[in-house]
Amino acid sequence: MEETGSPAVKDADMDWSDEDIRARIVQLLPRLRRFAAALTGSIADGDDLVQDTVERALKNLHRWEPGTRLDSWMFRIAKNRFIDTRRSHKRSGVVGTEVPEDAPAMVSDGARAADARLMLKDVAGALARLPLEQREALVLVSVEGFSYRDAADVLEIPIGTLTSRIARAREALAEFAPEG
Amino acid sequence: MEQEPTPEMPNKEMLNAFIDGELAPKDMERIAALLAERPDLDQWVRRQEEMRVGMKDAFSDLLSAAPPDRLLAAAKTAPLSWRWRIKRFTTERVLASAGAMLALGLVIGVALQPPSEIVTRGGQVMAQGALATALNDRLASDGYAGAGARIGISFRNRDGRDCRTFEAGAQSGLACHGDKGWAIALLIARPNAESSGAYRMAGSEMPDALRAAVTASIAGEPFDAAAEKEARDRGWK
Repeated sequence: MEETGSPAVKDADMDWSDEDIRARIVQLLPRLRRFAAALTGSIADGDDLVQDTVERALKNLHRWEPGTRLDSWMFRIAKNRFIDTRRSHKRSGVVGTEVPEDAPAMVSDGARAADARLMLKDVAGALARLPLEQREALVLVSVEGFSYRDAADVLEIPIGTLTSRIARAREALAEFAPEG
Repeated sequence: MEQEPTPEMPNKEMLNAFIDGELAPKDMERIAALLAERPDLDQWVRRQEEMRVGMKDAFSDLLSAAPPDRLLAAAKTAPLSWRWRIKRFTTERVLASAGAMLALGLVIGVALQPPSEIVTRGGQVMAQGALATALNDRLASDGYAGAGARIGISFRNRDGRDCRTFEAGAQSGLACHGDKGWAIALLIARPNAESSGAYRMAGSEMPDALRAAVTASIAGEPFDAAAEKEARDRGWK
């Protein structure tokens, strides 16, 4: 299934009811989980972040501007919550992002599960070595498929800042990863 | 001094934009042509493209996997901003009409029989009697205790006055406190008024025009229970 960063549902289809908004957020869960896993380095930590993000989004829904992208707004909440959590962990002495050995298998087929786990672990491990500002920029563009403009909007930075972060992130990743 | 990059002399950011498909079609073509002549750049681009695909693949199973129950439960049941329920109606053009009526100081009614608790005094439509007493004394948490009006939400408006929404009989309204008591800013017939005794959600049952009137005039957040009680105890502004 190919997905893009574009909104799945147009505003014209919205009826703005509670059920409509909740259904839209359910639709966004897979993408939020992927983004959060890539940011935090693990599926479990990512899911914690997604849960926090969903609860915050619903509680603060009046801050979302109808007509703007709900997905971008929620990705921004996830990014900000992740930064807040890291800050509070730092204060309380918890060590930063680590990729756990027991990351759950993502597919049931045995060999493929092992591959997928290895890939996720390798990629997440490489991403975790990037400064957060580079990681979030790269993940939005390379994994989530956001355009530069939309990614810059999520991160609330100018496009020029976004492109230089992506360039630095890719340079760094090329150095971490062995030549294929 | 760094030279401005061109498709003939691209820098890494331009090559990245090529990888991400962010260049104008003409520049995409020019970079592609350049890569055919520059194996060093071509190798760099290919490697970055592979890493981009690899990164996406690494997380792709999360897209097809069913989200865990706890996330579905959060999306379906976590508390939803009640201010959103007010705000969403501003997108439905109710705001314009209700706002205009408020600006003109009109009290609207649909087949409305103004109750005896509402009178015109000195050119203003004012609450009196049981309605005025309810607006002065009652808290939202009191509900329909005995006779009189039920209070919805209370808030400070942009003029610095305290305002309260209420339901009285078959009507809903918005009243704002002034020097001479409670001025009725909006009064409308309430749909399904016969079910008034039953428990209802304050947000979802508020008539659209009333919602819009609140949204148009509120300054900041509505009062919570503590602020509402405090405003009552000091006699309303």
